Amino acid sequence: MKKKLFSVLLCAALIGTMVIGCGGNGGDAGTDDAGTSTEADSGDDGGDAAPAGDLNIEIVSKGFQHQYWQAVLKGAEQKADELGVKINFVGPNSESDIADQVQMLTNAINAAPKAIALAALDTNACLDAISQAQSAGIPIVGFDSGVPGAPDGAIVANAATDNYNAGALAAEESYKAALKDRIANASGTVRIGVMGQDATSESIVNRGLGFIDKICELVEADDKTVSVEGNDKYVSDAKGEKKDGADVIIEVVVPASVTNELSALDCQTLLNKDDIIAIYGSNQHSGDAMVTGDENLNKFGTEDGDVIGIAFDSGKVIKEAVKSGKFIGAITQAPVAMGEAVVDLCVKAANGESVSDIDTGCQWFTAENMDSEEIAQNLYD
Amino acid sequence: MGNNEKKGNALTNNPLVNAIGTQKIVVVLVIILLAILFSVMSPAFRQYSTVVSIFDYSYYISFMAIGVTFPLITGGVDLSIGTGMVSAGLVGGYLVTFKGMPTAVGMLAALCVGLLLGCFNAFLAAKLELPPFIATLGSMMVARGIGSIITGGMAVTWPPSSDPSGWFRSIFKISVGGLNLPIGFLLVIIAVIVMSTVLNKTRPGRYIIALGSNKEATRLSGINVVKWQSLAYLISGLFTGLAGIAYAATFQTIAPGTGAGLELDAIAGAIIGGTSMNGGYGTIVGTLLGVFVMSLLKTGLPFIGLQANWQQIITGLVLIVAVLIDVIKNAKRA
Repeated sequence: MKKKLFSVLLCAALIGTMVIGCGGNGGDAGTDDAGTSTEADSGDDGGDAAPAGDLNIEIVSKGFQHQYWQAVLKGAEQKADELGVKINFVGPNSESDIADQVQMLTNAINAAPKAIALAALDTNACLDAISQAQSAGIPIVGFDSGVPGAPDGAIVANAATDNYNAGALAAEESYKAALKDRIANASGTVRIGVMGQDATSESIVNRGLGFIDKICELVEADDKTVSVEGNDKYVSDAKGEKKDGADVIIEVVVPASVTNELSALDCQTLLNKDDIIAIYGSNQHSGDAMVTGDENLNKFGTEDGDVIGIAFDSGKVIKEAVKSGKFIGAITQAPVAMGEAVVDLCVKAANGESVSDIDTGCQWFTAENMDSEEIAQNLYD
Repeated sequence: MGNNEKKGNALTNNPLVNAIGTQKIVVVLVIILLAILFSVMSPAFRQYSTVVSIFDYSYYISFMAIGVTFPLITGGVDLSIGTGMVSAGLVGGYLVTFKGMPTAVGMLAALCVGLLLGCFNAFLAAKLELPPFIATLGSMMVARGIGSIITGGMAVTWPPSSDPSGWFRSIFKISVGGLNLPIGFLLVIIAVIVMSTVLNKTRPGRYIIALGSNKEATRLSGINVVKWQSLAYLISGLFTGLAGIAYAATFQTIAPGTGAGLELDAIAGAIIGGTSMNGGYGTIVGTLLGVFVMSLLKTGLPFIGLQANWQQIITGLVLIVAVLIDVIKNAKRA
């Protein structure tokens, strides 16, 4: 009898632990703690806007792991204040918590908002919820990487960085600043490393491809040959291909799983190759890993013979690396502008106006211009 | 009692081998062979900076592995050390970066998070007698959630070395005339010496080994098994906190929601080093050697041009072989 009672207690304790565990890990944490809602106090702005307070918007982001999202949130709140609408901004704990995000999206639909903004971690996982929103007549606006591959008409408009163009801008600027001379003066083959966090996320892949394709174009315009090697997904999607005896090798590396250590080791391996002249990291994770990987080698820099570091996004570590001249420069998106644009699009869509995609833009920043007003507002720690 | 040495010695009469233990000799040979193999196959591997990197990336696993050896010896396991380490690093870093507290306070907070987690595990596994696998699986999830909640889901960047409050990074690595010295290794060695002594030369250590080889017999001989089993999880927790600090020093930026899976690297290190999954046997020196096999593989395999996924396959195979050796040894002994 006593034994039975004890085992019941054990089960209770176990279930309790699991519930706490899942709760901490799951939707609750994201909604209650990471989420935030803003109710604007300004009244009716007139014009086409619906009466204030009536208009509520649910924004489902990819989480708050990167400070980038804090800047998006700031922009969204500013715009919501200005237009006098109510927003609820949520996101999962990490960018791999796809199921949590679907749950948040479903919750958002159940809240019956006038519009939903979504930055999908995985479009396929969201399809059911998207059609549910469609049948409820709630317009969905995509933002950040949007909702790639969503059914036609499901997404009324996107407010996003054109990642492909952003990658191309990184290629263009770094080529102009240093790569062109390096390649022209090289005696043998030179290698450019491209570090991608993964080969599945649309935005990461596009940033890589934009960079690779642009480099190929620029190098070929200077009468040299290029070979694209490494990760299969990137190699098959890039315009260039693998060739023997090329003047320039673009090598794409993707870690087996997204950990600081594996990415830092990838960077180290690239830096240890004799013919390496530059490495491009396509997001904050890869940029941070470049700094960690270089720590014992000290090969990044702007002097002749140094390896050229090119980053994407900001954050304390990347900003410091650009400022000190370790990296030649980096691309920053415009998260504040994106936050503003997404709320604007949602309000217009909710009011039945016609809306179209907005490219929220990106900028190339270097040690020289990073303190200027125009750039600094888009950099975050 | 005295079981620890006896088991390790069962196979041979050579006094030197007896003193060190067969598994450890095998592991040392494996380390030397791997080092030679990588050096021959890749000139880039034969650099001082590679050695420093291997050390850099081994500290946090070493601390986790030293800690988790204790629950393993009791016949349990601690799966919460990976996410626990990350949440310790997150909480400490959060206090330093977002709350402007001194670095020392952040480090202390990281240790406290580790210890609290250890208490929680001890309560579940030792006091309530939950199966350690399930109990620590639960606390692994709890730890992951807590890290995210406290930091509001944001990644935390500890101060860089260039910042005065980044001094804690020089506990692990100092730069003398442009040369990086991996002095964190000294800390690891000190930890190994202290914990080896605790395990083999003190009463608590011997009780932990005893209850791992036969918990019921240990209890019947009047030893408070709940107390000593708890101690094993507390030690694991404390070292989780230390690992959090080492992780922050090496990688600087810590993202919430990560860390799951890192505990397996540490557990694999302990197993390769000869700790028995059935409990009752294990050494701290062996664990450290096992961690080095893992670190050497991780750092070395990319140098010889293996794609990322192949590295995982090879690391997995090495683990399987290590466990196989343990199984064969046990079979011979029986």
